[in-house]
Amino acid sequence: MLSQGLVVSHEQLGNTDQKLRRLVLQGPAAQTAQAGQFVTVQVQDSARASFDPLLRRPISIAEISPERDEITLLYRIKGRGTEILAQARCGDSLSIMGPLGNGFSLPEEGELWLVAGGIGIFPLFALAQRALSQGLKVRLFWGGECKSFMESAGLASWKELEIKTSLSTLDGSLGEKGLVTEPLHSALTQIKPADSKPEANEVRVSVAACGPKGMMQSVTELCQRFDVPIEVSLEERMGCAVGACLGCVCTLKDKAGRLIHKKVCLDGPIFRGEEVVWNETC
Amino acid sequence: MKPVDLTTQLGGITLRNPIITSSGTYGFGEEYLAYCPLEALGGITLKGITPLPRLGNPVPRLAETPAGLLNAVGLENPGLEEFLKSYLPKLSKIPTAVIANISGFSLDDYACMARALKKGSGITALEVNISCPNVKHGGMHFGTDPKSAQEVMAAVKAETDLPIIAKLSPNVTDIVEMARAVQRGGADVLSLINTLLGMSIDLNSQRPVLANTFGGLSGPAIRPVAVRMVWQVAEAVDLPIIGMGGITSWQDAVEFLLAGATAVSIGTGNFYNPQAPLDVVEGIRNYCEQRGYSSVQELVGLAHRG
Repeated sequence: MLSQGLVVSHEQLGNTDQKLRRLVLQGPAAQTAQAGQFVTVQVQDSARASFDPLLRRPISIAEISPERDEITLLYRIKGRGTEILAQARCGDSLSIMGPLGNGFSLPEEGELWLVAGGIGIFPLFALAQRALSQGLKVRLFWGGECKSFMESAGLASWKELEIKTSLSTLDGSLGEKGLVTEPLHSALTQIKPADSKPEANEVRVSVAACGPKGMMQSVTELCQRFDVPIEVSLEERMGCAVGACLGCVCTLKDKAGRLIHKKVCLDGPIFRGEEVVWNETC
Repeated sequence: MKPVDLTTQLGGITLRNPIITSSGTYGFGEEYLAYCPLEALGGITLKGITPLPRLGNPVPRLAETPAGLLNAVGLENPGLEEFLKSYLPKLSKIPTAVIANISGFSLDDYACMARALKKGSGITALEVNISCPNVKHGGMHFGTDPKSAQEVMAAVKAETDLPIIAKLSPNVTDIVEMARAVQRGGADVLSLINTLLGMSIDLNSQRPVLANTFGGLSGPAIRPVAVRMVWQVAEAVDLPIIGMGGITSWQDAVEFLLAGATAVSIGTGNFYNPQAPLDVVEGIRNYCEQRGYSSVQELVGLAHRG
């Protein structure tokens, strides 16, 4: 769907040096959006057509509010496109394609564990809200650079959800010092001691992960070791965002073990962790 | 006032209007359905196919440049057999002209695909890609050597009863020489231009952005080059031209028609605005109405008049 998103709020998130922004758009995209999906936003610095940048910017949907016709996009200013987007003011109208992609799936029962690295936390908020509204138990594992980043990237909003949370930072300024995989590993060990057989009363956990590729690979390997289903959100440079140009392919393994390509924009961005081939391309 | 006649004759086929979408940017016709009804278009050109399936190049395959896009997809496609089995049956239901695009690495490659794609197969015309810049020893060799280009067209012509369209590469010294060569080989229509070979280097990694190092440049940045080549070929060769390269608006499309293109094709412009083809059709209609033209074909080549 191509639609106009009216900017109803556009503000800095947290500390200036984190360059994070929260953009709330009002429009029809909110009616069908699912957690894990994304929109592409045309970034223009004025009402006049500009071709630099030429491509729309894909941004994951962080909050979905169909009753208010609003979606929230959280992003980091990283290059020319997001620099121009950051200039959009309340009352401006942005051209939006989407919602696009497949979205996370929700387990029918048990616990949903969210594992985020850095700004990979953003699309997981909509998923947490959705899972909680369906009565699932949700737990968060989130790793980031430092306390300033975590607080800027929405820690307070997560605290309001009142879910069990394990934080880790690279410099140890908040939570445990180290990578997000460490608390995840301990938690997995607690629900599934390495030498135990599956039992009827075992907690059924599913994992949804978003973050840097290396982190998602490690999380996937951990989950496979503990036989826990995992979905990951992949990222790749996109052209058309509808599956036509084949710019954003990722490499997966099919059932027969053959390497195949899938389109991150159309077949993803959410894939089952075990089907993703992390270190090879074909 | 009578409505403007937008119908367009192209190598023996009649298009509803002169707006086509370009190969490699429009998938196999289903991808943009939520944005652009196909019955509004003159035609669509399918993703290029090769005799055998191809996985294409590694990522990154795209690099954005000022007003442009570099791509090095490398002809990823399901191959001829899978195309015939899974894609072709759906295509006859598409309510517009469907142009298949074929690429190969030898004359036999081109010939075997032409043999499989004939009238009644759901395909309206065959575009012969002799200009893909992203595949080693691929199409572009045929597109930069006049003798090879002529041979490819003759090989295709001998095997199919469909109109054949030669897609020309701009990566040549003399585009007119190439156009003449494919005309001798039997091309019914010319389409130009394919992408311009380019590259981009990342200042952080100090490496090429594209995994393939080089890619084909498309988008508004290349439009003046494309208009110039359409002009030159229109002056010299008596074949209808599908003009393309950086079209995003009706103004761009009219420029190509005035330069001598009979039809125009929109590629990367779809990424910028997935409704660009609809806007272009309406814009051309309005332009003709306001200027008092009864048919869009009156615009073709007007800029050449003395």
